[in-house]
Amino acid sequence: MPNPVVRWQILSSEPDQAAGFYQKLFAWKLSTANALGYRELLSGSAAGIDGGVWPAPPGVKGFVQLFVEVPDLDDCIAKATGLGAQIIIPKSVLPDGDAMAVLLDPTGISFAVCQLKPKT
Amino acid sequence: MDLRQTLTAEFDQRRRRNARYSLRAFARDLGTDHATLSQLLRGRRVLSPRLVRQFGRRLHLSDADIADACEQHHADAILRLARLASFRPNSRWIATRTGLPLDAVNAALARLLHQRQLVMSSADRWTITVISHA
Repeated sequence: MPNPVVRWQILSSEPDQAAGFYQKLFAWKLSTANALGYRELLSGSAAGIDGGVWPAPPGVKGFVQLFVEVPDLDDCIAKATGLGAQIIIPKSVLPDGDAMAVLLDPTGISFAVCQLKPKT
Repeated sequence: MDLRQTLTAEFDQRRRRNARYSLRAFARDLGTDHATLSQLLRGRRVLSPRLVRQFGRRLHLSDADIADACEQHHADAILRLARLASFRPNSRWIATRTGLPLDAVNAALARLLHQRQLVMSSADRWTITVISHA
């Protein structure tokens, strides 16, 4: 399992503005048709990866997170913390069935690991 | 930031400086009435978003602290809702029920997950993990 980067996420204090900017700039499709109202930005291209925009915590400057798909989320979280990462958001199962956790690497950069729901 | 705790701590501090400083005087300084403040401090009444901002300004909190207090207020509203049997693990539903903007709901959800107060244990089940006085 190569543990690919499968998604990017912008955390912005102005999520509407950020999503609108990239949608217009790159002609990406913006979709919020999900239980969280998550702003997904879809390029429609087979190349590259899609992403989305989430509201940033108050007082936090916007930043980007990468999502890495792993075969076993619990194992990966345990391995990451063993290597010095901290858990920001513990394993959470999203309404669409995908599971994710947000971690802080030992250098202070946040990233997410996810285990996608098997495609039916 | 839990504004109720901040209010209690501020009142205690003012009382230490001046033993005659009353709850009525504190309410006046916050721009509210004695009964409302008393109920808020005892957890008998829920802070409204307007009062969170008003009290934050009167206490000279920074914009970041007021924003943080507002988000905690939103998180508390979600926790109250999550105790209901009719609760649905769906941001849109929560936004409709609380009257909060969808982004405020999602930011507060992230906060609750970070604080380990809420667990998304499955696609259709979110559970509260701590007893809150929200």
